[in-house]
Amino acid sequence: MADEPAKKITDIGPPHYSEFLPPVVKENLGKWKDHEILTPGIMYHVAESGAKLHTVRVASPRILSVDRIRDICDLADKHCEGYLRFTSRNNVEFLVSDESKLQPLVDDLNKDPFFVIGGMGNGISNIVHTQGWVHCHSSATDASGIVKCVMDEVHEYFSETRLPGKIRIALACCLNMCGAVHCSDIAILGVHRRPPRIDDNLNKICEIPTTVSSCPTGAIRPATVDGKETVEVDEDACMSCANCYTVCPSMPLNDPLNDGISIWVGGKVSNARTEPKFSKLAIPFIPNNPPRWPEVTDAVKNIIKVYIDNAKKYERMGEMIERIGWPKFFDLTGIEFTKYHIDDFKHAGTTYKTSTHLRY
Amino acid sequence: MAEPKKYDTPLLDELEKGAFPSFVTEIKRMAARKPMAADLLGQLEKSYRDKIGYWKHGGLVGVMGYGGGVIGRYSAKADEFPEVSHFHTIRVNQPSGWFYNTEKLRLLCDIWDNHGSGLTNMHGSTGDIVFLGTRTEELEPIFSELTQGGWDLGGSGSCMRTPSCCVGPGRCEWALYDTLAVTYQLTMDFQDEMHRPPFPYKFKFKMAGCPNDCVASIARADMSIIGTWRDAIQVDAAALKSEYIDKGTDIQSDVVEMCPTRCMKFDGETLDIDNANCTKCMHCINVLHHALAPGKDRGACILVGSKAPIVEGALLSSVIVPFVKLDTPKEGEDPYPELMELIEKMWDFWGENGKNRERIGEMIQRIGLGNFLEEIEVDPIPEMIVHPRTNPYIFFEEYFEDDDEAETE
Amino acid sequence: MPVFEFDGHQIDVDEDGFIQNPDVWNDDVAAALAKTEGVDDLTEDHWKLVRYLRDYYLQFGIAPMIRKLCKATGFSLKTVYELFPSGPAKGACKVAGLPKPTGCV
Repeated sequence: MADEPAKKITDIGPPHYSEFLPPVVKENLGKWKDHEILTPGIMYHVAESGAKLHTVRVASPRILSVDRIRDICDLADKHCEGYLRFTSRNNVEFLVSDESKLQPLVDDLNKDPFFVIGGMGNGISNIVHTQGWVHCHSSATDASGIVKCVMDEVHEYFSETRLPGKIRIALACCLNMCGAVHCSDIAILGVHRRPPRIDDNLNKICEIPTTVSSCPTGAIRPATVDGKETVEVDEDACMSCANCYTVCPSMPLNDPLNDGISIWVGGKVSNARTEPKFSKLAIPFIPNNPPRWPEVTDAVKNIIKVYIDNAKKYERMGEMIERIGWPKFFDLTGIEFTKYHIDDFKHAGTTYKTSTHLRY
Repeated sequence: MAEPKKYDTPLLDELEKGAFPSFVTEIKRMAARKPMAADLLGQLEKSYRDKIGYWKHGGLVGVMGYGGGVIGRYSAKADEFPEVSHFHTIRVNQPSGWFYNTEKLRLLCDIWDNHGSGLTNMHGSTGDIVFLGTRTEELEPIFSELTQGGWDLGGSGSCMRTPSCCVGPGRCEWALYDTLAVTYQLTMDFQDEMHRPPFPYKFKFKMAGCPNDCVASIARADMSIIGTWRDAIQVDAAALKSEYIDKGTDIQSDVVEMCPTRCMKFDGETLDIDNANCTKCMHCINVLHHALAPGKDRGACILVGSKAPIVEGALLSSVIVPFVKLDTPKEGEDPYPELMELIEKMWDFWGENGKNRERIGEMIQRIGLGNFLEEIEVDPIPEMIVHPRTNPYIFFEEYFEDDDEAETE
Repeated sequence: MPVFEFDGHQIDVDEDGFIQNPDVWNDDVAAALAKTEGVDDLTEDHWKLVRYLRDYYLQFGIAPMIRKLCKATGFSLKTVYELFPSGPAKGACKVAGLPKPTGCV
């Protein structure tokens, strides 16, 4: 008699995290007392019991080969009894329970140029980003490429030099913002500039009502062309957000000449000192210039320099700008202010300056 | 298996220069032995030359029994790069706090090495482990090996997406509730809602242990659960002196003057905090962390509605419950009853009334927060708003009709 | 364009097996597509679901939201997955000849 096929296992959820906690963490779960950041990539936490856990943080390009993960595991096995974690910004953290293994771990990491230690405290940690040309159908730019270029330019703030406050940089390859870049100190956002091109298979591939209602500005209407049901786009009302393409494959927007990058500043998610805030437009459009995107990296470096020169201790980018005023920000960075910087979507009027509080 | 093709990649080679670790190095490492990764490299180089992506729109693939967890992807240049004709990604539900041991992490590597490109994202933006690139026929074998190894898929589509959290009690002295446990509880209680999409659109949970919000919960979650406290900040006067005053920290400039409600006074010796006016922003604690700590009466603030711009604009989550206790459930107790009841009510109402692809935050904007609160049986309180309305367009619901009896005068 | 073959017929499908020309759909096409989604025989319950989906789509131009689908047919979501193990989108919508539901965002 044939064996019954094993019943398919489903709905088991992830492994329980407790099996991944180093013993010192398990024993002191929720009973931590204090921490000290020793260097930009090394810190320790101390529990109420006096027990200590060291963490060594190392940069990662987020795209990791299984072979690299295995290398990381080798180091974790050698120095951390096999325990490690990843951070919310895609860095690797080696969890060192035995302090005598800390320096040997650091020595091993320093032997391999791939491993850059840093990312803690008031500096620039890793750039949260999306898939870009590596995997995404709607990307206006590549993500990993720009991240690499920018981090190459600013890595000293990852691994050494401190800043007045944190700068969190995030990148989204299109307006879908699959990592929610809308609240970053510096946000890099891929944008399209041209309306979609409609192909004549639309009625077979797409749901017309869904396509019509996908448009934030109501620019899409049902239409009949050559006897076929389709849609038409009022191009004056279209701002190329590409949401129609997300729901309708027959309306692509990707365009090498017209896709590019915008830069936004001043967002934050933490509640410290001031409330969370959205990023605001700094530079509306920079053309794609792979492989190193020098215009983007120059723009980001320029903004960082203005921040370093003008921010008070602990101030974040947005807090600095609020203190000195947006006119001063544009003045100091030399960025051109245009009509594109002025909001024109819902509630735009609430962003206009309705007082005489101006500096002269 | 075919030999991996060697491509000339002069543009991508430029991205191996520089101090920061390179994703090109990672792809090349797999491309040396995996045709799929090799063709990815080739196609990516072409994208860099032509300044456009070469992936077809979407793709609908999955595993039997689930309505999500796998993102279909097909190359638009499969004739040139046949090995990436299929390039689907699999979302694997990560452990809370992204803690791993090498044994289980190696198991994932082995499964993926045997069935896919060998490239991963550690991690995707929602929090899942991403297996980047495999073929349709590999999906069921991968899923089978994952579940046999104790792993499961994450969410995709109009479902509860994979919950994620900060390191919380796993290391942080500011974890004001057990983010790891709540994340695990939500994940396990709502497996059905994760794997078989039942909602108008996606729903994300993010658990942050304190108002520093290291997982950007307030910006990226439909329900943001952010740890807080409601009693007095704990001050260790001796540590304040030895670690800060004696070491010359400018407590007046660095702390007192940066307090958002100016609730602190410092006379050179004593830090006096008017806790009733403290809005729990964490700044003073962040700066004076050897001497200050959050209060002891701990719980979480629940905010709802954040999302990225598409369609109606970006939103941050807004306060629905200023304070709820999230203590570790005792043996036999139902876990986090108030939280679970709130979730059920919200999902019920949004499930019934949300339009197609309407996030809960957009629905609230459409119908009004006041109406939403009524439906989920939560009383409106001033903590939920920055200020009351300024426009007088009030939809009064109670008024006398002509034939109503007038009240006696 | 990939082609789906059954009983001597050939229909254009996309790489996920969704038919490209709604006009060619009929019960035989549905039954053949069902086999590709792990459903060897379409029972009365299957047809109830398929017909509801198709009628809704022909009337409104969109696939019904999942909650509506469950309410109108009286099937719980669990039952829908029992009928179509690959789910309402990949399974039932494909069998009913609807356009492919869109993807990841």
